Amino acid sequence: MSKYTLRVNGQSRSVDVEPDTPMLWVLRDALGLVGTKYGCGIGECGACTVHVNGAARRSCQMPVSTVGTAAITTIEGLDAGGKHPLQQAWCELDVPQCGYCQAGQIMTAAALLKRNARPTDADIDNAMAGNLCRCASYLRIRAGVKRATEIGSGSTPARGGQS
Amino acid sequence: MTRPSDTSPMNRRGFIKVSALAGGGLLLGTYLRVGPASALAEAGPAAAGDFAPNAFISIASSGAVTIIAPNSEMGQGIKTSLPMIVAEELDVAWEQVTIVQGDLNPAYGRQASVGSGSTVGNYAALRRAGAAARAMLIGAAAERWGVSPAECTTDKSFVIHAGSKRRASYGELAAKAATMPTPTDVPLKGVKDFKLLGTRVAGVDNPKIVTGAPLFGIDVKLPGMMYATYTKCPVFGGKVASANIDEVKTRPGVRDAFVLEGIDGLPSGVAVVADSTWNAFSATKALQVKWDEGAVVSQSSAEMAKQAERLAKATPPDALPTGAKQVEAAYHYPFLAHATLEPQNSTALFKNGVMEMWTPTQIPASGQGLVTRGLGLAPKDVVVHITRLGGGFGRRGSNEFSIEAAAIAKKFEGVPVKVMWTREHDFAHDNYRSNGWHFFTAGVDSAGRVVALHDAFVKMQGGPGDMGAGGFPFTAIPGSKVASSKLPAGIPTGYWRAPGDNGNVWATQSFIDELAHSAGKDSVAFTIDLLNAVPAAVRPGAFDSAKMKTVLALATERAGWGRSRPRGEGQGFAITHTNNAYVAIVADVKVSRDGKLAINRLIAAVDCGTIINLSAAEAQVQGAMLDGISAAWFQKILIERGAAGQTNFDEYPMLRMDQSPPIVEVHFIKSDAPPTGLGEPGLPAAAPAVCNAIFAATGKRVRTLPIMDVDLKWA
Repeated sequence: MSKYTLRVNGQSRSVDVEPDTPMLWVLRDALGLVGTKYGCGIGECGACTVHVNGAARRSCQMPVSTVGTAAITTIEGLDAGGKHPLQQAWCELDVPQCGYCQAGQIMTAAALLKRNARPTDADIDNAMAGNLCRCASYLRIRAGVKRATEIGSGSTPARGGQS
Repeated sequence: MTRPSDTSPMNRRGFIKVSALAGGGLLLGTYLRVGPASALAEAGPAAAGDFAPNAFISIASSGAVTIIAPNSEMGQGIKTSLPMIVAEELDVAWEQVTIVQGDLNPAYGRQASVGSGSTVGNYAALRRAGAAARAMLIGAAAERWGVSPAECTTDKSFVIHAGSKRRASYGELAAKAATMPTPTDVPLKGVKDFKLLGTRVAGVDNPKIVTGAPLFGIDVKLPGMMYATYTKCPVFGGKVASANIDEVKTRPGVRDAFVLEGIDGLPSGVAVVADSTWNAFSATKALQVKWDEGAVVSQSSAEMAKQAERLAKATPPDALPTGAKQVEAAYHYPFLAHATLEPQNSTALFKNGVMEMWTPTQIPASGQGLVTRGLGLAPKDVVVHITRLGGGFGRRGSNEFSIEAAAIAKKFEGVPVKVMWTREHDFAHDNYRSNGWHFFTAGVDSAGRVVALHDAFVKMQGGPGDMGAGGFPFTAIPGSKVASSKLPAGIPTGYWRAPGDNGNVWATQSFIDELAHSAGKDSVAFTIDLLNAVPAAVRPGAFDSAKMKTVLALATERAGWGRSRPRGEGQGFAITHTNNAYVAIVADVKVSRDGKLAINRLIAAVDCGTIINLSAAEAQVQGAMLDGISAAWFQKILIERGAAGQTNFDEYPMLRMDQSPPIVEVHFIKSDAPPTGLGEPGLPAAAPAVCNAIFAATGKRVRTLPIMDVDLKWA
């Protein structure tokens, strides 16, 4: 066991874990942040996506010993009030089916919107292609990202859940 | 995360008066609330003076309305849509309702979420539950005001007497309503009077999902909890011969490791128990087991294919009618894994003789049954809390993870244990969709009519997936016959979204398209001719060709069927009657010269009776279509040496967003008929629609899945 002091969601958090423990399991088991999900353990599904210094990364591929003082943001810390434009759009358009992948989807989309506030369909597909949705809620995820760009730019809520 | 309270699961208290309405029959016994001991508990204890007329509803004097969601939520939207049914008849404002996930409890009736049956099986009972409560609230108001109940109406949690312009909220009336007799027969609303059903209502858990709040089985965390894996023989039916247990016990964080053997319903295996998921996973990697592999080691997908051919040859077709042209084709679909994104898991706590469990399961009673039988406990001593499921698709109908968690937890009295499957365990120990073969022989006469159809069908012994010979298209064809044969058992097979239909509709609808081309007819016109020959429906649930023709007409009209297209672009369609819903799907594809497939558009028309929640209904059909395409395009489990050959998503690809069609339309037929199932019906016709479109684009017929393995190059 080794002690690490991590920067998670703007807070300093200390953990005592094995050095090879992926951040995914540090977040889930040691810090109780269970929004970040385990899907494959090999970086194929995207369910474990978090932000590392603002960029979307697979937390299952990130041993805690390599994290250092990088700023980690999880779905729980994406927005203090849970009202990030993506979170609003996801609720407005009723995006989730089982919901298991959605934290990862939202984190990947949030990183996209941060670097590209007006993504095209192709930009969205490229950015999101690493995140599997076993329920295949892809149409509403795509619509949700677009709706979030409207919410983010101050547009008023448009329509119901039509996707 | 809610902390388990000191309330023992044994210290339950009666919650509410159970009515004769809930499950259909008269329910004796009491609804038992298992304290606030749930790790993901949503229910607060009911207060004295609450109006709780049946197992599903409680109304506090504050006006707060709580409705129980009895079934397992796995993405099909049932945690929202079943309470909507109660709320509709109760006539409450949806915004004021709190939904609470029910535990396993006989008072809730049909809690199995399989076979697209949750809505079908609970619709009538939940309507009666809501209507009875509403009648009691009206009765309470009428008595207070000294008026006839017949003069009272309700709206958004108020009883209204228009004549005297009086209103009383459900909350004000709760205490008095609790003293009213439970009606035995109450009128239900007409479908045309529905205010909530048929509208778009967002999933009740969405705010938690988008903020990462704990919901799923994997999220369960209890004080002092240990984390376990359970490793079984990769060869199905194999047993532990020996294992490096002592070495594994020295790994970081490992609390214990041991072999479990001889427990009814639990395959032989090695449990590794640690202080964190990662330490359990790490130690499991270091685990070396010598297995007694058993007889199944001789099975392989390649050998099965040869056996299937031999079996089919043993059931040859009758001689064709004179002058008929013979059309033959062999279709094959492989084993599929469910690959729910949340791997299987279950958490158990054994304390004071009671096994308390938190499980993402589609059939909680089956998990309870496994645990009672395997560990010799009484059903009352196996308490099952239903968590949200990170996908189901039929996988979580079986409950191996329940008996694994309980068997391990029983060794650690008072200490909760979560059993977590690795992704690799999940692929290796699924109950797979059976592989299947269809060897078709048909006769087409000079007028282009099908005058004979023989299907030599082969699948694994056991599990679902048999061909019904009574359904379309077989009913329409004179002398049609399905001759079924079975491969020896050994590989575990089970329910995979739209069992049977998920492969068989692909094969039959593809072959019908072949026959249409062979007959030189437009394939839609050809199918309509076949539908016209189907005998009229004589009983509810029997195939109704008029409904099928309606959805086919709508889908083809919206898709612009029949327009000519350049080479490399094509349109195809398929139909299915699944869980009593009628679905027609038209697919538009493009195939590049070098064989790269793009699916540009899917259009579905669906008759599923009354729509409960339009948002969830549309999502289910969209998702099911894409699920069907994902499986058909990319997926296969190959059995080698009696074990699954694919271990993770790198070897078992799944549809990704950039491969997902940009346009997926779902058109529902307006209907007052009772709801049919809808979690599955969108799936079966999607793959054959795409494969028929591929043929239209390229002249290449996909007769073996996955499509990815078929060379689609054209010149």
